[in-house]
Amino acid sequence: MANEEIKSKLKAFFMSDLGVDGDVLNYDTPLFGEEIGLDSVDSLEIISFVDDNFGVSMTGVAKENFQSIDTIAAFIEKNKA
Amino acid sequence: MTSNNRRCVVSGLGVICAVGNNVEETWKNALNSVSGIHKTTSLDTKNCYADLAAEVNCDTLDDIECPDEKDRASKLCIKAMKEALNDAGLGDFADSSRVSVIIGSCVGGVLSIEKYHRGGKDANEIPKMPIAAIASQVAESCHAGGIVTNVGNACAAGTISIALACDLIRAGKADVVIAGGSDSFASVPYSGFLSLHALDENGCSPFNHCNGITLGEGAGIVIVESLEHAEKRNAKRYCEVLGAGVTSDAHHITAPREDGVCLLEAMDRAVKNSGIKKSDIGYLNAHGTGTGKNDNAEINAFLKFFGEENPTLSVSSTKVMTGHCLGAAGAIEAVFSIKALTTNTVLPTLHYTAEDSEAIKAKVGSMDYVQNAPRGKELECVMSNNVAFGGTNASIVFSKKPGDVQSQVAKDKKIAVTGIGIVSPIGNSKEVYLESVKNNKLPETASICSTVSNDDYKELGIKMAFYRKLDNLGQLQTVSGMRALKDANLTVTEENAKQIGIIVGTSEGGLGATYDFEELIAEAGNAGGSAFKFPHTVYNAAGGYLSILSGIKGYGVTITTGPLSGLDSIGYSMNVIHDGQEQVMMATGTDENLPIITELCQKLNVAADKVVEPYSNSNGFVVGDGSVSVMLETEDYAKSRDARVYCYALGYGNGRKNVKFGHISGSGEALDIAINEALKDAGISANEIDAVCGFANGLKKLDDIEKAAYARVFGDKLVTLPLFQVKERVGEGRAASATLAAAEAALMLGGELAEENAYFIANDGSVSKKKVSAAGFKKILVTSFATGGSYSAVVLGK
Repeated sequence: MANEEIKSKLKAFFMSDLGVDGDVLNYDTPLFGEEIGLDSVDSLEIISFVDDNFGVSMTGVAKENFQSIDTIAAFIEKNKA
Repeated sequence: MTSNNRRCVVSGLGVICAVGNNVEETWKNALNSVSGIHKTTSLDTKNCYADLAAEVNCDTLDDIECPDEKDRASKLCIKAMKEALNDAGLGDFADSSRVSVIIGSCVGGVLSIEKYHRGGKDANEIPKMPIAAIASQVAESCHAGGIVTNVGNACAAGTISIALACDLIRAGKADVVIAGGSDSFASVPYSGFLSLHALDENGCSPFNHCNGITLGEGAGIVIVESLEHAEKRNAKRYCEVLGAGVTSDAHHITAPREDGVCLLEAMDRAVKNSGIKKSDIGYLNAHGTGTGKNDNAEINAFLKFFGEENPTLSVSSTKVMTGHCLGAAGAIEAVFSIKALTTNTVLPTLHYTAEDSEAIKAKVGSMDYVQNAPRGKELECVMSNNVAFGGTNASIVFSKKPGDVQSQVAKDKKIAVTGIGIVSPIGNSKEVYLESVKNNKLPETASICSTVSNDDYKELGIKMAFYRKLDNLGQLQTVSGMRALKDANLTVTEENAKQIGIIVGTSEGGLGATYDFEELIAEAGNAGGSAFKFPHTVYNAAGGYLSILSGIKGYGVTITTGPLSGLDSIGYSMNVIHDGQEQVMMATGTDENLPIITELCQKLNVAADKVVEPYSNSNGFVVGDGSVSVMLETEDYAKSRDARVYCYALGYGNGRKNVKFGHISGSGEALDIAINEALKDAGISANEIDAVCGFANGLKKLDDIEKAAYARVFGDKLVTLPLFQVKERVGEGRAASATLAAAEAALMLGGELAEENAYFIANDGSVSKKKVSAAGFKKILVTSFATGGSYSAVVLGK
């Protein structure tokens, strides 16, 4: 799966499942910053989505990998089988 | 000392949980440090990382009238109720208006929701779904004819029920209250807590390993009685119930505040309201769920609160025995606390090793975290705490001595209505609603709903980081609540945050969200739940979101008893103010119309297939929704901040004649009682009422009850008495419509709604409609109903 496709899938997930407004969500927007405001409950959802859709486990993974769509996609790229 | 007419005593106990099917068995097992936690036998655990639960093992739950009409939550509760009444030497109450039922629950009839969804959508399951069924069916089983209410504050609901029971007795509204809580173990909460990674795969270990909770199930009942009533019948007396404290964290929808300051405030209120010293408390039955967040917050709060004044307080969590029984937890733990008090025994938290003991000692110093085995200790007072999703904190004190309870200390204060927030199918603000009334806007279809948009959030300054988390019910609630605050020109500050409280009334609360979650896990399995969606299933999530957004940290309770919950929110708020608990209360009514809600109404054959209006003798009603919030405050407080006053809340009343939950026919005379009680509370006669804002929705059997009761109460005056019916415009929005009826009365009294369609009932029962000016109105009666036979009334006046 191309990197762009992963990012686009992630963005669609943030919009449909975590209620994020697509207009303000760019690939480099900080997810846990003030504007988007994700918290620990949302990170559980991200972990579960990534596991189900890309077969990559993010359980216990360092926080910096969750910073933005870019960093999550990079982690998936690096770790997918 | 507490004056005798304010003393509440406990005269009976009943319990059912994983360690026993009655009080004797449960207590014996508790003394023997038995845990009821085992591998679950009732749920699918495929791919689930934790499979433990504390389930009830009882083969006599169906030994009641019409078991097929009751969810497991009702069955558990009725079983505990029967034991408690028997223990108290009480039996059938013959619809006595002095006997009330208040039951707390978190997930209510969730098993029936599951059964409906997975079992062919059988309409017989529908009346068993809402939490409201529980208290109603308990009342029906023993013919309690007073106030019947359910508390929907998730895991704190059981404690709040007992607190509310005392409030009612001390306000003179009841002599006996059957109070408690009930919840059953089911896929939705199991899957939900799994999705939050909040279950401990090894079984919960509160104040110790703190890796998560283990779910339990059960029910607890405490018979709370006025001293006078108990003395008169020479009743058994376990102890006194002293004061309680209920607060809101205004922090996070699932996680407690780490600093525990709002839990500390709840304990502080409980001690102050009891008129005791902190050092009088010998044992504290903590919430102690076993999650790190909860347990650490509690440990901090206990150290900070009791500290030097009570350094050797005994503390434990009995959840290692019972599991976390959610809405029943507070009630079951009240039974443990009362038994501890009366037998001078402190109960332990189980499963500590020597190493664990050292670790907790390092954290809590001299405080006595009781471990592994019970111990004798002379006790005078005990405290029981519970906290919940939505940020609710509740604390209550049981005592051998009467204490010095302060209640109804502000009874002479006039209560002003100072703000109104409306979200409805015909407009998302008071201004748009008034405009729609002016333009005679009516429903266009038989199922209508409100639509909250980004424009509403923008106008109210609500950021995306917040509103993205809201479900539909939360959207309706937060927008109407924030609009009411704005309309009242009231800014929540650090100084006043604790002086403001919220009571949310809702008929179905999180039922729609629970159904949504059930659909998800029926497909994905119990391991496939959503941590994002799960919090919405609790009925107090909407109120919790409002507290987080507004910063309101005072009293926060969600009541769920059917449509009248939206009017009881006003009545109970008046009581909170009269008790001197808060200066300001937001009373609100909120219900949603998701497609599933219309589907359920259609299946029950109460949804109209075309637009109908009140008194149209139809077979159904227009299904609606909304959220309406009304600000109430003491006149002094309103004056001190130069607030505009719409009108005053003068009195409230309730009535009940038991019929089956889901039914209303045959209960009509209870509406007379509710109206007469409200008039009496307001100190006025029926002749002084200038208009009524009622609850007719077009369904003949409901509208006929209303017409007949008004004819009896108002006599000849009825032909000239204007009846305003908001459901003409917004459909049957249950609790939202009930609060809207009150809001419409306030708008008329306050001069903002100059005229509106009024219905008139002629001597022959025929109905006519004409536009009526509100100019001369001085006092307006507002009424509402709930299935099962409950009615409420409120009097508003200039």
